[in-house]
Amino acid sequence: MKARLLAPVAGLLTATMVLAGCGAGGDRESDSGGEGGGASDVGVTEDTVTVGGHFPLTGVAAPGYSEIPTGAQAYFDYVNAAGGINGRQIEYIVKDDGYNPTNTSQVTNELVLQDEIFAMVGGLGTPTHSAVVDFLNSEGVPDLFVSSGSLQWGDDVESKPYTFGWQPDYEIEGKIIGQYIAENMPKAKVGLFLQDDDFGEDGEKGVRQYLDKQIVGVERYTSGNTDVGPQVAGLQAKGADLVIAFNTPSYTALTQLTSLALGYEPTWFYSNVGSDPQLVGSLLNRFSEGAVEGDNSSLNDVLTTEYIPGVDATDDPWVQLWQEVWDQEGEGGELTNYRIYGMSQAYAFVQALAAAGEDLTRDGLVEAVESFEDVTGPQLAPFRYSADSHMGISGMRVVELQGGKAEELTPVLVSDIGDAPIEEDSSDQASDAPPEGGIPDGS
Amino acid sequence: MQQLVNTALGGLTLGAVYAAFALALVLIFRSTRIVNFAQAPMAMVTTFIALTLIDAGYSYWIGFAAALLSGLVLGAVIERVIIRPVEDKPEINAVILTLGLFITLHALAAVIFGNRFRSFPAPFGLRGLEVGGTTIRLTTSGIFTIAAVATVMVLLLLLFRYTDVGLRMRASAYNPEVARLLGVRVGRMLTLGWALAAVVGSLSGLLIASGGLVHPGYMDSIVVYGFVAAVLGGLESPVGAVVGGLTLGLSLSFVSGYLGSELVALAALLILMLVLTLKPGGLFAVASARRV
Repeated sequence: MKARLLAPVAGLLTATMVLAGCGAGGDRESDSGGEGGGASDVGVTEDTVTVGGHFPLTGVAAPGYSEIPTGAQAYFDYVNAAGGINGRQIEYIVKDDGYNPTNTSQVTNELVLQDEIFAMVGGLGTPTHSAVVDFLNSEGVPDLFVSSGSLQWGDDVESKPYTFGWQPDYEIEGKIIGQYIAENMPKAKVGLFLQDDDFGEDGEKGVRQYLDKQIVGVERYTSGNTDVGPQVAGLQAKGADLVIAFNTPSYTALTQLTSLALGYEPTWFYSNVGSDPQLVGSLLNRFSEGAVEGDNSSLNDVLTTEYIPGVDATDDPWVQLWQEVWDQEGEGGELTNYRIYGMSQAYAFVQALAAAGEDLTRDGLVEAVESFEDVTGPQLAPFRYSADSHMGISGMRVVELQGGKAEELTPVLVSDIGDAPIEEDSSDQASDAPPEGGIPDGS
Repeated sequence: MQQLVNTALGGLTLGAVYAAFALALVLIFRSTRIVNFAQAPMAMVTTFIALTLIDAGYSYWIGFAAALLSGLVLGAVIERVIIRPVEDKPEINAVILTLGLFITLHALAAVIFGNRFRSFPAPFGLRGLEVGGTTIRLTTSGIFTIAAVATVMVLLLLLFRYTDVGLRMRASAYNPEVARLLGVRVGRMLTLGWALAAVVGSLSGLLIASGGLVHPGYMDSIVVYGFVAAVLGGLESPVGAVVGGLTLGLSLSFVSGYLGSELVALAALLILMLVLTLKPGGLFAVASARRV
């Protein structure tokens, strides 16, 4: 009887201690250290480490996005099959939040308090993740590689010491797009088509740094309202002959359909998020005249950006690795750009685990990511992580889509938020290859 | 000018779809005295049936006919199996049941047809027509939508005003007891009302899907706007539903184009509140005799 009582009491005590530890408001220096070696933190045992993530597996945001965790899972399985990291198998728990912030809070509570995850990996979405970011930080749960390009994951390390962005933020994407157009199409009359939230706002801020004067019209759409006719007609009326669009993939299809009905033919420049040729092509091919099924030609001549090699780059050694991983561990279906996204994130997490060493602690993991300076991976440009910034990948290149393939228009350009200049990337990460065996080592 | 015309034309096409949906609501209200919230997911299910057939290689029109036919069957079955048991209870019971049905059909569709966006083919071209050198936002598919809605409206008018069946349906809805005494087979009329309404609902589902993207939730916003359109028209009159639908489509398109798309839902609510406050019986209500 006594022994049976002990476990819950111990659990309660631990919980109290954790809560007490958090009272310091995320002051992580003060409560680091002091713990013994070996299995040493929540979610870590001698031979496992448990991590979790929240994704829209159902609902309107599910198309495409629901494939991200399947890619990550495949890569973790691949690593586990080779013996794991520091002798630990990675256990990955994925929960469905349906892209609804209320659900995100609930599933994150479950992950942290019930499943006792060591870290959150790749939690998806700006509105969804905003709902849990404070909770994760107050609980001291490392919140690595949020699947969203909002600035808030990395620009304020003091208030969110445990959160790290991953993909290039929308502001530097806007800056790089803006500079490209200002330099190469100085006569273009630019229209902006923006999602009415952080995504569109951050992008607009970046774009305006370089071509404020060329902008003739701005239209915003509300996600969920599928009639974008009035917005596209507005851009047409302003005479915009080049439209920069920060929108999600289904809205790429909708704007293309609407401009067909309006006889409006500007040059379209979709931000990376909205331009997946596979997904958008599958939606549009039915409507494009003379298109051949499966050749993804419906987005031909569209400009966009790229920060990890995509599924069309079959010669890229990283894509070859992802193909091997997917063939070996995938749950069936094709390798897609969303799965590659998940794998690339998982790769970075495995790098972090390896770098954090055998005595795995939450704070140790955070410190490892902060010293990621020379770490290379599938991303075309280096990470920006440091003790002062938790912003992710530092740059991207401008590409044009032809037949579903990305043709490079610029070298990889890197920048940072604010008025940091845009420079050509000198790290040469874009032409590196994965290590032998496809699993990073700890160095 | 061009923007004005295009915004108006886009609003009219969209308004026609709201009108089709409002017609289905009017039909069911007139023949059974309840508001059917499950109308939208029912239409979504039949549209997915059409899409499945089209994807299997059949022509658009076979899919179209199959959707209307399955609408007819679905409507009748739902009335017989789910609504009939609560027929004698207060009307609110049936309304709440339709809400339950809304959720159930949604979930079932997600399981059977999947949750991703899929494109739905259009019967005619999606390019805007050219008038005097400029393209206007009126596609052949758009014209088909408007013509289809006008036809349905006329058919419904004829049904309720000039046919025996229409009269019996109205009688069963207004006063089942008396109708029964007069020899009307009330149960049969209720089933017929549900079946016909589901056909019209399916039509609106097909019309809004054509040349666009569908997923299990694609009809959800139409529920709200179709309902507002029906209330604008007074929930009783087919002409009112169509005028209501077109008015709403136009107003919302202008709000979206000139004020901002985030205000669309708000504007619809405002219109609904204004109409319910100023003319509770709808724009086309005949002054009702005073109840004593």
